[in-house]
Amino acid sequence: MADTKDLVLEVHGLKTNFYTYEGVVKALDGVELFLRRGDTMGLVGETGCGKSVTARSILRLVEPPGRVEEGEILFREIDPKTGEVNAVDILQLDEDEMLHIRGGKIAIVFQDPSTFPNPVFRIGDQIAEVILLHQDMKHDVLEMKINKLERILNMNPPPVNVSEIVAHLEQLRSMRGNPPEPDEKAKKKAAKWRAIEMLKLVRMPSPESVVNQYPHELSGGMRQRALIAMALACNPSILICDEATTALDVTVQAQVLNLLNQLKKEIGTSIIIITHDMGVVAETCNWVAVMYAGTTVETCATDELFANPLHPYTEGLLHAVPKLHEERERLPQIPGSVPNLIHPPSGCRFHPRCDFATEICKTEKPKLEEVQPDHWVACHHPRI
Amino acid sequence: MTESEYLVETRGLKKYFPLTGGVFRKVIGKVHAVDGVDLHIRRGETLGVVGESGCGKTTLGRTILRLLEPTEGEIWFDGKNITDVKGKDLRHIRRQMQIVFQDPMASLNPRITIKNSVGEPLVVNGIARGPKMRKMVLELLEKVGLTEDHLNRFPHEFSGGQRQRICIARALALNPEFVVMDEPTSSTDVSVQAQTLNLMKDLQDELNLTYMFISHDLSVVKHMSDRIAVMYLGKIVELTPHDIFRYAQHPYTFALVSAVPIPDPRFAGKAQILSGEVPSPINPPPGCRFNPRCIFAQEVCKTQEPELRDVGDGHLVACHFAGTLDFGKSAQQEYAEATGSM
Repeated sequence: MADTKDLVLEVHGLKTNFYTYEGVVKALDGVELFLRRGDTMGLVGETGCGKSVTARSILRLVEPPGRVEEGEILFREIDPKTGEVNAVDILQLDEDEMLHIRGGKIAIVFQDPSTFPNPVFRIGDQIAEVILLHQDMKHDVLEMKINKLERILNMNPPPVNVSEIVAHLEQLRSMRGNPPEPDEKAKKKAAKWRAIEMLKLVRMPSPESVVNQYPHELSGGMRQRALIAMALACNPSILICDEATTALDVTVQAQVLNLLNQLKKEIGTSIIIITHDMGVVAETCNWVAVMYAGTTVETCATDELFANPLHPYTEGLLHAVPKLHEERERLPQIPGSVPNLIHPPSGCRFHPRCDFATEICKTEKPKLEEVQPDHWVACHHPRI
Repeated sequence: MTESEYLVETRGLKKYFPLTGGVFRKVIGKVHAVDGVDLHIRRGETLGVVGESGCGKTTLGRTILRLLEPTEGEIWFDGKNITDVKGKDLRHIRRQMQIVFQDPMASLNPRITIKNSVGEPLVVNGIARGPKMRKMVLELLEKVGLTEDHLNRFPHEFSGGQRQRICIARALALNPEFVVMDEPTSSTDVSVQAQTLNLMKDLQDELNLTYMFISHDLSVVKHMSDRIAVMYLGKIVELTPHDIFRYAQHPYTFALVSAVPIPDPRFAGKAQILSGEVPSPINPPPGCRFNPRCIFAQEVCKTQEPELRDVGDGHLVACHFAGTLDFGKSAQQEYAEATGSM
C-alpha cells in the first residue's frame, strides 16, 4: 500500500449488518478501501452489493435495524496550520465530533435530486444553513464588508465622502488578521453571499436568482448542481457522490461529470463516485474499487482495470456492457443473480456464479492481496 | 407501401395533454408530448426509440397501443386503421399488441400469484381457465427461463430480473405480433440486463415478434434495434437503419451520442457537451425545435421547421443542413476505430 500519509481515507474489514425479521443481512463483510489525496475513486458494483451502505457507514449514517459491527475507518486530515497529518477512526468518535466531520469534512451527494433538497426551503437558505453550521463566518463577514466598500468606491459617479470610505476600508483591512465576532444578521447575510459564490462555482446559470428559488423551480440537472454546491460549501476533504448522475439524462449527465472533473482540479477535494455505470467510471475516475455482495473484490487504477481485469466478476461485468460500436448477436452474461445476503454463499461469495471456481473457493474466503504492483484482488485464481 | 411489409404505421400522430390552471381549471395550455410523428414499423424488425426524458417516447408507445387517445393523426395496424376502433373490436386488436413496462414491481399485483398474473389475459379473453390455463402459463414461464416451482409464488419473492421476465411472459400470453418494450431494463443491473436483452432477442427469433424498443440508454437501443428513431421534443429528428454512433446526421443525435460515457478510460473527457436543457414542450421553440441549442443554427432554423427527409437508404433526417454539416470526430468514433484496429 502507498505511503499512509497520502491516504485521506482507509477502510479496513468493515462489517455492517441489518437485523431484519427474516434474519441478519450481512450487507458488508470485510470491505477494504483506500483513497489517496486528490484522487477520484469509483466504487462500482450491482444493486445490493453494498456500495451505498459503505458510503453511509463511512458517514455513520446507517440507520437501525442496521449497525456497523466491526472495522476501522481511518480519516487522515492535514492540519492547515502545522501541515501535520492526524488520523482519526471515525467509528470511535462520539456524536458531537461526528457532527463536525459529517457535512464539514466529508460531504455526500445523494442519488435522487428530486427528493433530496427540502422542497419547502429556498435553495440559498439550504446552502447557507450548511455553511453557518460548520464554518466560522468572521472572515466572510469582514470580506463582504470590504467588498461592498470597494464596490462603492468604484461606482460612477464616485461617492461624495471618498476619504471617509477609504479610511474605513483601511480600518477593516487591518482587522483581517483578527476579525471581530459578527452579529447573527451579518453572519446570515455572509452565508447567503457564500451560497451565491458556491452556485457560481458549480456554473449555475443566474445564481443570484436561483438562491431565492425553491427546488421544484429547478430542472434535474440544476438541482444536482445545487446539491453539489451544498456539499462543497464547507470545502470538504472528501466528497462522496452516491449515484449522483444516475437519475439524469445522458446529455445532462455529461454536463455534471464535466463539472466534477473541473471542480476537482480547482479545489483539490478527493472524490468517491458510487455508480454502476462503467462508462461514468472511465470518464471521471483514476482509481476503482469493484464490490460484489458486500466485499471488495478488486481495486486498482482505472486504466489497469479496463485493460487487465483480474477478478472473474470484474471481467464479466466489463463484458456485459453493450459496446457502442460492436455488432454482437448476444451479450456475454454472468449466469445467476446476486446472492441473498441473509444466507450468503460460503467461502468466496462469487463462487456459485464463477466459471473458474474450485474446491477452495467454496470453503475459504479469499483476502484482498496485491497480486501485481498497485493491483489488489480478492480471488484464489486471479486471471493473470 | 404494401400491407405485408409494415405492421404498424402512424400518420401525423399527435398527442397533446391539456394544462389546466386557475380557479375553474380552465385549459391554459397544451403539452405537446407527441407532435406529428410519421413512422412505419416493418414486420419482424425492432424499432428503437431514444431520447431524453420528456421527449415523448413513452407517450408515443402508449398512443400507438391506444392506451392513450391520440389528439390527431392515424394509427394503422396490420393494414387496418385502428384510430377509432372501440369496444370489442379494440379488445380483439389489443390481443395482438402488448406492452412491457419499465418497473416490473409496479406492474405486477403484489397480492396475486404469478400463475394468476400471467394467466389473467387468458381468462379475460376467454382462451383458457383452470388446469388448462395453468398448463399454458407454465409453458410461458418455461419460455422465459422460470420453472414450475415459481407458479404459486408472489412477486416479492423474485429478483428484479425475474420479475421483468414474468412481465414479458405475461405480455406474450396472448401470442401477440407486436410488443412495445418501454424501458424494460432501465431498473435492472448490467449483468441482469444482459440476460433480459438476450432473452428478448431469443423470443423475437422464436415467435417472430415485432418490437418497438423504447429506452434512454443508447448502447442498449443500438444493441437491440434494426432501425433507430431519435426523438426530441415530441418529434422524430432522425430515423436511421445505420449505426447512429458512426453515421449520425442530425446535430442533436451527434450531441446525444457523444454524451454517452465510453467504458474506456483512454477516451475520457472527450464528450461534446450540449449546453442548456430541453426546452418546455408547452411552448416549443419555433422553427427547428433544436435551434436554441444547436451550434450550427442559422436564420432559417429559427423560422422554418425542417421536414423529415430521406438522405439515402431510408435514412431520414429532419435538419435543413443534413449531410452538409461537419461534426468532426466524436470520441465514440475514435474509440470504435481504436478498438476495431486492436
